[in-house]
Amino acid sequence: MESLTPDMILVMFMIGLAIFLFIVEWVRVDVVAILMMVTLPLLHLVTPKEAFVGLSSNAVVSIIAVIIIGAGLDRTGMINNLVAPVLRIAGKSSSRIIIAISVTVAVISSFMQNIGAAALFLPAIQRISKIQKIPLSRLLMPIGFSAILGGTITLVGCSPLILLNDLLAPFNLKPFGLFDVTPIGLALVASGIGSFVLLGRFILPQGDDKAAGETDSSLSPEKSEPDTDATELFELKTPDDFMDYRDPVFVEDLRRHYLLNVVAITEPPDYNVISPLPDVEVRSGIDLVVCGHKNDVRRMALNEGMHLKDSLDTYKDSLGAQTVGSVEVVVAPRSPFAGKSLEDINFQDRFRVTPLSVYRHEETYRAKIDDIVLQVGDVVNLHGTWNRLKALHKEGGLLFSLPSDMEEMRPEKALWAGLWLIIALVMIMGFKIQLSVALMTGALGMILSRVLTIDEAYQSVDWRTIFLLAGLIPLGIATEKTGAAAWIAHTILSVIGDVSPIVLLTVIGILSTLFTLVISNVGATVLLVPLVVNMAIAAHTDPRMAALVVGLATSNSFMLPTHQVNALYMGPGHYRTVDFIKAGALVSIIFLIVMIAMIGLVYGV
Amino acid sequence: MAVITISRGAFSLGKIVAEKVAERLHYDVISREILLDASTRFNVPEIKLEKAIHDAPGILERYRHSKQSYVAYIRSALVERIINDNVVYNGLAGHLLIKGLPHVLKVRITANIESRVAIEMERNQIPAQEARILIQEDDKQRLKWTHALYDHDPRDASLYDLCIFIDKLSVDNAVDFICRAAESEAFRATDKNKQKIKDLATACRVKATLVDEFPNIAVTCEYGNVLVYISKDQATGKLIKKLNTIRDNMNDIYHLETHTGVPVPTDAV
Repeated sequence: MESLTPDMILVMFMIGLAIFLFIVEWVRVDVVAILMMVTLPLLHLVTPKEAFVGLSSNAVVSIIAVIIIGAGLDRTGMINNLVAPVLRIAGKSSSRIIIAISVTVAVISSFMQNIGAAALFLPAIQRISKIQKIPLSRLLMPIGFSAILGGTITLVGCSPLILLNDLLAPFNLKPFGLFDVTPIGLALVASGIGSFVLLGRFILPQGDDKAAGETDSSLSPEKSEPDTDATELFELKTPDDFMDYRDPVFVEDLRRHYLLNVVAITEPPDYNVISPLPDVEVRSGIDLVVCGHKNDVRRMALNEGMHLKDSLDTYKDSLGAQTVGSVEVVVAPRSPFAGKSLEDINFQDRFRVTPLSVYRHEETYRAKIDDIVLQVGDVVNLHGTWNRLKALHKEGGLLFSLPSDMEEMRPEKALWAGLWLIIALVMIMGFKIQLSVALMTGALGMILSRVLTIDEAYQSVDWRTIFLLAGLIPLGIATEKTGAAAWIAHTILSVIGDVSPIVLLTVIGILSTLFTLVISNVGATVLLVPLVVNMAIAAHTDPRMAALVVGLATSNSFMLPTHQVNALYMGPGHYRTVDFIKAGALVSIIFLIVMIAMIGLVYGV
Repeated sequence: MAVITISRGAFSLGKIVAEKVAERLHYDVISREILLDASTRFNVPEIKLEKAIHDAPGILERYRHSKQSYVAYIRSALVERIINDNVVYNGLAGHLLIKGLPHVLKVRITANIESRVAIEMERNQIPAQEARILIQEDDKQRLKWTHALYDHDPRDASLYDLCIFIDKLSVDNAVDFICRAAESEAFRATDKNKQKIKDLATACRVKATLVDEFPNIAVTCEYGNVLVYISKDQATGKLIKKLNTIRDNMNDIYHLETHTGVPVPTDAV
């Protein structure tokens, strides 16, 4: 075995630093990757050309193309169009609905980013939950897991697999084909869905059938309080002496005092204003409509001397279901709203809709919601006219569960989108054209056929993923080039001694699973592939299989809500971390068993 | 009418000023009584409370958080006392303990060091040098205390509405200024201000109940709607039980909500 050189020590220090920064998250993961991209050539561990080779790698170009193709499919509304026939096939049984939607999501996820597929389906799943009266918590986790598992069906399904061939290139190993992983991926999807269908009642939070999608496991101790739906509307009339001998009362005051949101108010002389701004004054002898708990409405009526009407009267027509409504929106991944509070966004002034509550990690926030800094996966309950909600929807950044006919789609382009996807696949399979070239052709085709504009294509690209991939590739090169990977591999092997290929692959699978839980799946892949290839070569096991295990097992991220898909579904599903641990542990174990068994079966290891 | 806090260094004549102001305005003067109240309500020896509000936290105390608990108890006792207005508080750190209330007139009284030394010498029958060292040590402790708990410098004039240096100005001049200021419109106890003080009392009660087990929580209250700000690791079943008990037992709480990982507002206790 080669002795440890200063360069190897330096590389191992850089790996340690990257892992440390991934875990502590002092800076974002993509910034860590850029840090590596810049530091490695400065330390002469890679050449300047090698430092930036990731940006022009097949993996990075492929992922850009996959994202654009995914955005194109999204624009055509194909996904929503798929839901209706899928539901028809599934019928009303919740198990069949879970199977049907999960399979659909997995198939779509195999050709686009997992998080993209998960985000696309979220509004549709919310609608299904409401229509079929199935708690969202029973649907979202199986479907979210299927989106992650679906990424293992093809070589373009998830970032680690896209990256795999680039990482194998320095070893002169035969690259994997687009569908080489398909049998294993399908088995993984089937086993994941199977676990939920067979054991769902034991591992999933069951929720409440009556209030589908509105299960409340809030930390705030107010379970005994709500006597009504928090979105129920009440009309009141202020007394004629309401403004006498007192400070002016504004819409905002009623929200802060009674946790009631004024959704309509009469302004002089007799304008009926829907979703009034917080600084609108509440005047004498006018009608107003509030949204909130009945207890609070009664308290306000009593304290302020208002008359609570039996039902909507003045606003019966203008607040009809055809004109206004309330929707739950989810802060989407990469949303411009994430990291800002509703006050920072000037939300009510800009969009003229009323935010009613924010739901995050088992908690429903009703008080001071304007101060809450929004995070990806937060669920915001909004009330307003459909027109204004539609305008907000167009802004992007929020996943809406709007009636399907309100979504801005280009259904007439669906055929073009499908055609270009098929052309890309035919180029890969039939003509053996390189993945990046074929996929970029598909992406370009979608732009030329106006499925989406070039600006929309640019906007859809997630630069975080791109720089994460491109920035970590030089770290993989340095690990291999300095001999650090070989040294670590030999050291590990000398400790564990001779093991059979199956045991070695299992150990690699477990190692990859643990790595992906604490650092990103891309980071785990880049760091582990050079290592396991060296280990496999030394242990006389197929190095391609060792790399494949890493590429697949880095998708085995179910036990914690750290995976982007899990983080996105946690809020709307009202899941707790313990729910992920319970269901995720089982799915992770089944994943490892099925993966090793299938690799043994398909590749004869 | 108003609530007046008089902050001062040792032997700075603040006590005499407070008593004269209270006499002229027919207010109550409170000082050490709040320590007794807190001691009785929260079952903590008075000496510990006195040390907590005077001495800066030691290294171990920074980790034990006992000082935060004691200060929360004292604050709660103080706010309960001022809830009916017309009060001059002459004890330590009043301007910090009841921050955020608009009708509290915050006064800082300082005196010439030579006159302070002279008063100390006369009261304790000690030489000038010793008196000077004792006064400087006392000032240092208060500086460290305010730094450690509130990250403020007690000498910072922006913490007060009125700073009076008793040297050329007499005690009577100071009393005149304070009384005129207290009677101005800005310090009138309006309905809104009264509600704010009631809310602060509620927030302080909630904080005092939780602080022993959850030292880093922060609490606000507005119109009886209590928000408890906690970090992610504090979101435990134990906290839920405690919050349920609080909600059931405190009649003036209409709504109680926990906000996890949300920036704590500056007016939180």
